Amino acid sequence: MAAPMELSCWGGDWGLPSLHPESLTVMAYAKFSGAPLTVNTINNSWRTPKGDVPVLISEDTVISQPAKILNFLRKQKYNADYELSAKQGADTLAYIALLEEKLLPALLHTFWVEAENYCSVTKPWFASRIPFPLSLYLPGKMSREALNRILLTKGGPPLYSLTEVEAQIYRDAKECLNLLSKRLGTSQFFFGNTPTTLDAFVFGFLAPVYKVCFPRVQLQEHLKQLPNLCRFCDDILTCYFRLTVSDPALIISLQMDDNLRKSPQHPPRKLTTLKLAAGGEESSPLNRLSP
Amino acid sequence: MCNLPVRVVCRANAEYMSPSGKVPFIHVGNQVVSELGPIVQFVKAKGHSLSDGLDEVQKAEMKAYMELVNNMLLTAELYLQWCDDVTVEEITHPRYGSPYPWPLNRILAYQKQWEIRRKMKAIGWAGKSLEQVLEDVDQCCQALSQRLGTQPYFFNKQPTELDALVFGHLFTILTTQLTTDELSEKVKNYGNLTAFCRRIEQQYFEGHDKDNSGTAAARSAKRSLLR
Repeated sequence: MAAPMELSCWGGDWGLPSLHPESLTVMAYAKFSGAPLTVNTINNSWRTPKGDVPVLISEDTVISQPAKILNFLRKQKYNADYELSAKQGADTLAYIALLEEKLLPALLHTFWVEAENYCSVTKPWFASRIPFPLSLYLPGKMSREALNRILLTKGGPPLYSLTEVEAQIYRDAKECLNLLSKRLGTSQFFFGNTPTTLDAFVFGFLAPVYKVCFPRVQLQEHLKQLPNLCRFCDDILTCYFRLTVSDPALIISLQMDDNLRKSPQHPPRKLTTLKLAAGGEESSPLNRLSP
Repeated sequence: MCNLPVRVVCRANAEYMSPSGKVPFIHVGNQVVSELGPIVQFVKAKGHSLSDGLDEVQKAEMKAYMELVNNMLLTAELYLQWCDDVTVEEITHPRYGSPYPWPLNRILAYQKQWEIRRKMKAIGWAGKSLEQVLEDVDQCCQALSQRLGTQPYFFNKQPTELDALVFGHLFTILTTQLTTDELSEKVKNYGNLTAFCRRIEQQYFEGHDKDNSGTAAARSAKRSLLR
């Protein structure tokens, strides 16, 4: 009964299907609920959709925000929350709000505002996927929007300078990661053994922090100290995205236990950004910051 | 809920007296602490806390629900007050500017409105229509109602910070007169939420009316759910 559905979103790197948290959330939900989506990553062509990304196009309807896209998929009977009780549904909404309020500002900051990260990683990556001459303008605009959002929502008095706001948002983000880790505990997904909307959102927000190799990585360091969240991300990547399926050694090494994961010998990645990954990985486990 | 003695005072320049620019704030000895989060921390540091009996997972849940209320209900209230043109004209501008003489009342009201609209745009709420905002409120109330169920408080027998926060928002929504009743109708759809508000009002506010040394204006401004 499904009309063909196309999802336009940002592509991926560093072992992820997408770098953009919202795109990743939608992709993960589609995998969990079994919705047949054709994913078009935005590459260097003039058919870049204007406006928000990700965008779902199904016949004549165009839907743009993750919450609306997920609602649309549910209406088409692709529902990953079918077995949840009413209270669990309510918990889902609450935890998503927690992610948006506490984790998203720090995520935006790591990607778009932190100068070293933005100049050496984010801007070149996005610019290479946007056609010229938009590539000169759009990354800068996204960066300004991110800073604006952070300052308007978190930057009121008594926090008067950007450094104080930054300190506050990273504190909030680390607390949020700790809370998520406590809530997840030892179970495979947040509500038992099948993934749901909440798992999609948490994965969408955590995976970019976990996998993308930035020069300044305090949030990633903190996340790596929470092994159940790392295991959660890796499980979803291997089971649902099958990105590393062509290399059996990689699958085995990704399922190794936590002790090994913290060692400098992180699983080798066969992407072209290997040099950057290797350099980043070796230095980061060695200086463990306290949460 | 913590049984702490407090005197409520209404002042027009409250926002300027507060260290963070936001109300409410408490003035204790020579310390001034504003906003719910810091006030809760402050009271906790003095040895009173409502959430000590919760385990780690429950505390995580409580924080998540508090964020939900802040994210959805608070933003919806701000939207309705400042971005819905009818309400802005008839209620918000006169109310916000009432302590000041002309033209200060208009200038300050417009300034605040501009500030709030900028914030809405940054978080993506500027493009929402009133129906969408009301739908979000409905979803949030549904989540709260399902979480509350038939229990007296959100974490069973004892009230916590979440109960205080939810009471604050829902009571305001239920008792504030607006141009339309749509917002309060959304909340009234959930019987257990209205019962929750009534119960807290009776238990914690009715008995303290006699002790309140507020002015006559403050007393007449006191609204009751038991109309």
